[in-house]
Amino acid sequence: MAATSMAAALAASLPAPSATISVAAPSYEAIPASMAKVIDIEADIPLTCVQLDGLVVTKIIKHAREAPSSTAHGLLLGLDLDGILEVSNSFPLPHRVGDDDDKSSKSSARHQASMLRSLKEVQADDSVIGFYQATTLGAFFNQTLVDTQAIHQDKLRHGGIVIVHDLSQTARGNASFHAYRLTGAFLDAYKKSNFSTASLMSHRLTFSSILEEVPLKIRTNPLLSAFLGKLTETSDEGLPSATIGANSGLAPSFSVLDLGTGGVARNLEQIIEAVDNYRTEEGNLSYLTRQIARERSKAENYIAKRKEENVGRVAQGLAPLPEEDVTRLFKIPAEPSRLESMLILGQIDAYGKSLAGTASTGLVKMYAANASTDV
Amino acid sequence: MPLGPKSSAINIHGTTVTDSSHNVPRTPTNITIHPVALFSILDHYLRRTDAQDRVIGTLLGTRHDNEVEVRSSFAVLHSETDEQVAVDMDYHRTMYELHHKVNPKEVIVGWYSTGSNLNTYSALIQNFYSQETSPHQAIHVSVNTGTEEGQEAGVKAYISSPVGVNPKPENCVFVPVPVELRFHDAERSGLDLLANTASLPAATTAQPVADLEIIERALVSVSDMLDRVLTYVRAVLAGEKKGDPAIGRYLMDTLGASTEDLEKGGFNTSLQDTLMISYLANLVRAQAEVSSRLALTAAS
Repeated sequence: MAATSMAAALAASLPAPSATISVAAPSYEAIPASMAKVIDIEADIPLTCVQLDGLVVTKIIKHAREAPSSTAHGLLLGLDLDGILEVSNSFPLPHRVGDDDDKSSKSSARHQASMLRSLKEVQADDSVIGFYQATTLGAFFNQTLVDTQAIHQDKLRHGGIVIVHDLSQTARGNASFHAYRLTGAFLDAYKKSNFSTASLMSHRLTFSSILEEVPLKIRTNPLLSAFLGKLTETSDEGLPSATIGANSGLAPSFSVLDLGTGGVARNLEQIIEAVDNYRTEEGNLSYLTRQIARERSKAENYIAKRKEENVGRVAQGLAPLPEEDVTRLFKIPAEPSRLESMLILGQIDAYGKSLAGTASTGLVKMYAANASTDV
Repeated sequence: MPLGPKSSAINIHGTTVTDSSHNVPRTPTNITIHPVALFSILDHYLRRTDAQDRVIGTLLGTRHDNEVEVRSSFAVLHSETDEQVAVDMDYHRTMYELHHKVNPKEVIVGWYSTGSNLNTYSALIQNFYSQETSPHQAIHVSVNTGTEEGQEAGVKAYISSPVGVNPKPENCVFVPVPVELRFHDAERSGLDLLANTASLPAATTAQPVADLEIIERALVSVSDMLDRVLTYVRAVLAGEKKGDPAIGRYLMDTLGASTEDLEKGGFNTSLQDTLMISYLANLVRAQAEVSSRLALTAAS
């Protein structure tokens, strides 16, 4: 339910694309030839890369760490230029509490609208280009993400992107950001809201083909670079050379070399949880499938019986009974959606991947430590 | 971690306040800044209009005993002319409410400006923010972006106190307070990433970075440090340099770390665990993949 509320909130706050185009269209000025390749009003140039500003990196990390629940999300602002989507700012969205759906979605929409207006006043970028979501241990597949992204796909230029940040990996010393968007096949199935087996087959959908990754780059603007350079610079006034580093704003850290494998237990727990969820979901699905099969066989039996009867009646010279009221007599339920189980599988896979990653770096570190003790 | 050039100011800390004066707001004696606040200020400075000499904004954060922790900041509209200074109060209020909704713990603690000159207008703005933060004292953080020639980038923080026989809002003394950069350990790698990016000529890095690459980087840096220490120790042994007992103590503590646990079979146990986990992880992934493929063929 929360998913739809957020989706509705986003839908309400985003400007309708048709409106912006109609405003922009009359005020054309001749685009200089040198810029003609770069400026695309209709968003014709496909995105090749997402460029994340340093400010957004810190903002997302801070929000992800402080958020009360494991999933923090917010909107990304920026613009696209010659196939590079520049993310220059972001702001967090309020954490949803309770299940007061309608009210919270409205207030969330209001929040976004006034935030965008306020940012515009101080010359910050104010066009929404997607959203970000923080996860732990890599499992970011969920209904909310898919719903929100599907709405963005219609409303935003280039369909919007979602940036996923893995908090647990950042804590381990490797800050990671990934940019994704929905694949065409998934979007097609989503629009028809048809996730039956047949639809999945025709679209060749598995969890790995829901999202496609867009290359992502981190950029720091020159001012930030200069400032960071100043912070990391060592100022060893009056101190012996051996203590270099102690006096700089950013002393080096070696948390990546930590041999501890603290997060593994939690990771395993989550895998078990996800597998349990998957089993429940599969149970539901098979129950529904059985029910469908039962209803269908009932209906078929009925038809066969009717046909037999009719053959008998014709032989006796009587008028045959009508055959078309089968659909009214037997309600065959619609085929269940497999989206949920697909998403859970995606989660399991992501947990597995993060576990494998931890294990493999753990191995490297252990052998390194062992080798250094032998010396 | 200090920010910017050393100041010659002496910061006098009073004796710790006893419980009797619990209701009296304490004077901040230490200010910490989260990188987000700092980077937002820099971004705001980049986006200023040509007419603006400096930009100002509100600092949000939390207060502990004598410490103010600045955790985020937002830009505020203001205009300065020779005759007057105006701050958009409505804007400030709206933005504060928006921020407050997302992060209720953060309250207004003061304001920032870029550039390091403190003038009458600074005092007036300080006066305005003091009303916002009362009964606590407002802090002022001035960020020198280092874009003007001959000025060094750095951050300074001040608190104000009234001056004169009849205190007026446009008169005040800005008392410097030590300021430090502070962030959570978990956010460390994000900053490393940015620092790394900043040091590259193109100022961009591709994501994601492999874990091994980061480990390698850390190892290389450790190896560099060992080399430096080795040179120093050799120089001391050869009598070229006078040894510093403090450094010797540090080296002893650092290098004397025991690896006994690893040697006593700990390695093998741990290795088996890790291998098991690796196996399990791959098994789970394979199962998930098979399961999703099976779903595609079920109907045929």
